[in-house]
Amino acid sequence: MYSWIQRLYIFLLLVITSFPLKASDDTNSEKFDISATLFHHVLETHDWHVADIPLGGGEYLSITIPLPWLVYNPQKKTIDFFFLLGHSEKEKNQIAQQKGYVLHHEKLYIRNENVLSPDGKPLPEFEKEVEKIGAVWKPKKGSHRVIEQDGTLIALSDELIDLSPSKTVLHMLLVGILLLIIFSKIAKEYQINKDKPPKGLQSMFEPVIIFIRDEVAKPNLGNRYEAFLPYLLTLFFFIWFSNLLGLLPLSSNIMGNISVTAALATLSLILTNINGSKDYWKHIFWFPGVSLPMKFLMLPVELIGIITKPFSLMIRLFANISAGHFMVLSLISLIFLIGKNGTSAGGTIGGILLAIPFTLFIYCLEFLVAILQAYIFTLLTCVFIGQAMASHEEHH
Amino acid sequence: MEIILPKFGLFFWTVVIFLTFFLILRKVAWKPILRALQEREQEIEARLQAAAEAQKKMEQITQQNEKMLQEALLAKEKILKEAQELKAQIENQARQEARLLAEKMRKETLQEVEQIKKSLKDEIKKEVVEMSFYVAEKILSRELRNKKTHDSYVEALISDLQLNPKRVTG
Repeated sequence: MYSWIQRLYIFLLLVITSFPLKASDDTNSEKFDISATLFHHVLETHDWHVADIPLGGGEYLSITIPLPWLVYNPQKKTIDFFFLLGHSEKEKNQIAQQKGYVLHHEKLYIRNENVLSPDGKPLPEFEKEVEKIGAVWKPKKGSHRVIEQDGTLIALSDELIDLSPSKTVLHMLLVGILLLIIFSKIAKEYQINKDKPPKGLQSMFEPVIIFIRDEVAKPNLGNRYEAFLPYLLTLFFFIWFSNLLGLLPLSSNIMGNISVTAALATLSLILTNINGSKDYWKHIFWFPGVSLPMKFLMLPVELIGIITKPFSLMIRLFANISAGHFMVLSLISLIFLIGKNGTSAGGTIGGILLAIPFTLFIYCLEFLVAILQAYIFTLLTCVFIGQAMASHEEHH
Repeated sequence: MEIILPKFGLFFWTVVIFLTFFLILRKVAWKPILRALQEREQEIEARLQAAAEAQKKMEQITQQNEKMLQEALLAKEKILKEAQELKAQIENQARQEARLLAEKMRKETLQEVEQIKKSLKDEIKKEVVEMSFYVAEKILSRELRNKKTHDSYVEALISDLQLNPKRVTG
């Protein structure tokens, strides 16, 4: 097992170091843009930006692992897979434009050549729309707009469907592989260590597995808990491990992406509703025990209720994890803010003395939040499924 | 704003990755682990129950043993007592028999002694008679040497014989 880890490590090193020196674009700007830094760290990106190593004289060695783009182009009806290898967005954009795309603020658009001629002059039928830079209009499909890049006008269409395995996707895969390695090893240990007390990884995770089974699944799902247990365990450990990985330097905040939590919440929504009992649907469409006008009044309320429950799951997890990252990043940014981006030595030291204890505190708190949010998401999913499955005779 | 807008790509990949790993983990990890846990719990429960039963049985056996021991002690005492009684009885009997035997022997000895005494007496009597005869003969012969005495004696004898005719004929 070590050999392939070593091989992977060497491969990664080769990939990383094959990217040469980069002159940083914004090192000379005196003002530290805290908001841009925060969002750059929190939002997902199409490369894995590991570090910038200062080399002096404003030169930086940027260590970045490029990740591929995978886009569906509805205009051409093709799926394109390509790397945009470049040291700046400008360079990447040049490569993208050769493929008929435009990279704008780290997002990829289709270059709409039916609107503007290659030299940037609007075609006659679109003259009116293109008058203003940044104009947005909606023809039959998608949304189109015009931007200015390097002095030329470019028309964009956002019909493109971006399926790129971004940094977050990569880290989710890492989490999945980690789970697979750890828990298949534990499963094997159960066979080797049969009739023996658990040890090592086994004894580390066994209490957690038993906790999920006995405290989360059994009380809420009754005698059908066994069918849902693998899903709940996967959910819990996936969220927990993602959150823990997000606390490591160099990695992304997986659960701080609303798309990720939305996907998990959608799965919970589907799981809840396909397991809905007759009573569950009766409560939604024909609320028992109230007068006729109230029944009609309750219908939209209950219908909205179907959505709000998983919606709260989505928001809660996303907000908690991204909030933690924002806290840590903001506190770290204090050093650069007080230290005037490294130009004031006293300010920097003061900032460090101020920020480090607070950051450590928030970091410790985040370890708690990591498992707590995983637990809450799993528990609530379980509660929703349990409520939907229950026949309400016992309540009335 | 961008941060709170879900993106289709990431949503799609999350679903794909999560469900893929869910299916793999369910097969590779969760089912074996949960089965092993359940089996172990059942086994522990069964063993605890068995241990409780064994203890119960053990207690029963101990009680039984104690009872048996008590009984054995009682039996031993009884046997000892009986043996002592028997011993005493045998001793008594032996003593009695010995006494009887001694008595008998004494009687026999006495009888024998009596007999010997009797026979000795007879013999002595006979001897005495013979000696008397001898002595009498000696005396007579000495007396009779004297004519006068001899005659007087014969006369006395004859007179005696006359007085007691029976003796002459006898």
